[in-house]
Amino acid sequence: MSRAWSRHAPFWLSLIAGMALWEIVGRNTSAAFMVPLSTTLVRLWEMLASGELWKQFLDSAALFLAGLAAAIGIGMPAGLLFARIPALRIGLEPYIMVLYATPMVALIPFILALMGFGFGPKVLVVFLFAVFPVLYNTIEGARSIKPELIEVARAYRSSESALWREVMLPYTLPYTMTGVRQAIGRGLVGMVAAEFFLSSTGLGQLIMTASQNFDTGGVFAIILIIGLLGVALMRLGLFIEQRFARWRN
Amino acid sequence: MTDAAISRHQARAWLSTAALSRLVCGLVLLLSWEIAVRAFAPAYVAKPSGVLAAIPRVIVDPAFLQATGITLAAVAEGLAIALAAGIPLGLAMGRSLIVDRSLRHYVNGFYAVPMIVVLPLVSLWFGYSGAARLATIVFAAVFSIIINVADGARSVPKDYLEVASSFRSRRLRAMVDIVLPSATPYLLAGLRLAAGRALIGAVVAEFFTAIGGLGYFILYNSRTYKHDEAFVGVLLLAAFGVGFELFVATSTRRFLPWYRRDEHAN
Repeated sequence: MSRAWSRHAPFWLSLIAGMALWEIVGRNTSAAFMVPLSTTLVRLWEMLASGELWKQFLDSAALFLAGLAAAIGIGMPAGLLFARIPALRIGLEPYIMVLYATPMVALIPFILALMGFGFGPKVLVVFLFAVFPVLYNTIEGARSIKPELIEVARAYRSSESALWREVMLPYTLPYTMTGVRQAIGRGLVGMVAAEFFLSSTGLGQLIMTASQNFDTGGVFAIILIIGLLGVALMRLGLFIEQRFARWRN
Repeated sequence: MTDAAISRHQARAWLSTAALSRLVCGLVLLLSWEIAVRAFAPAYVAKPSGVLAAIPRVIVDPAFLQATGITLAAVAEGLAIALAAGIPLGLAMGRSLIVDRSLRHYVNGFYAVPMIVVLPLVSLWFGYSGAARLATIVFAAVFSIIINVADGARSVPKDYLEVASSFRSRRLRAMVDIVLPSATPYLLAGLRLAAGRALIGAVVAEFFTAIGGLGYFILYNSRTYKHDEAFVGVLLLAAFGVGFELFVATSTRRFLPWYRRDEHAN
């Protein structure tokens, strides 16, 4: 047997075994609790064909991207600013750490009461889930800049913009990207949470409607889609992080 | 002054300026929150003075204490189940290539699934009950434990295992006495992640199924316009989040002082 075979066989065999297990368990339990893989795929195809899934997917994607963009667009410059002004960094660090460790879902009822059901509050939820990893890791990167580097740059009369371009950004960006990877994962949770607990839209709404109609096949189909989306996004995050990790030694 | 005295002096000066700037920043944050709410928001919105006034009232409220106890017990139970299931699986994945290759994509895949999407399913399976919350917590926690324990078991120095096998130690013995201890720092890092996720899992499950607990306490009070009271619950959740981070960090430093692992495990 070739090495490639022994390397890839366990993966494929276990994948097939998993699918077979799903199919068998699904066929032998009540359809209200669990449906086999084949039924899930048929249901998935129906939703795809009717265009419903695509429409709701785009809705969710808009929410996710808006929240993530806001998190990176605010988290990174703020982190860099803190990097440049140590007094501010030292002063705010403990609070950012606390917010980083706080389960942000707990704030959803307040956001609902204050801001209602629009698109804005949902973006805020995704933003809150995603911003602290970016901010925290950017600050972490800022701490890794040796003071000597900045002193040398100063001694050579470097301008502020050159200092940012040549020292600050290259040193903090790899750390920021670690934060971005975490933010992608957390943002996805925030997206679904916002769609569940604020106004129901997007993929979250599809799941909710399916489960209210006892359409178990629909629930499984959407969970499968969101799961695959999660895996793809995690891969993307790792790829981005590793691209920038080469800078960090 | 001697060098040591100078550096001690500098350290103390640095500490006091750090503490001062932290204090100032904290006060500015709280003050701007207070002013913003007083100026622009309705009266029921949580503000620092209101939350502060609510704290003594809430922490003696039996409903609050009971809710906290329920949620914490569920998180502890879920973490215990996740550890009991995750450690053997992680060890097996870390030490056996075949197990690793056949399970890794499932574990990584489930880990990447936002745990919150399973809520409709677990509430279908377990009803709107504590069991649904427990299932959500276990789902949220178990995969980060498996992944980290597997990483730890993989990184055991080969020499240790060679010595063990040359002394004819049985595989299970080597697993318990050598692999598990040297994977402990990884296990702790995984547990830290898992605890944070478990806490989120408990809160979202309570939001979703409206079963009693700290999450539901927050939901209920905010719906009845008692935001100050509800916010005390958020503060407690934040304290648990931070407390667990600190607990794991200090116990790693205390019991495994030779071990330095980056924060980037997650």
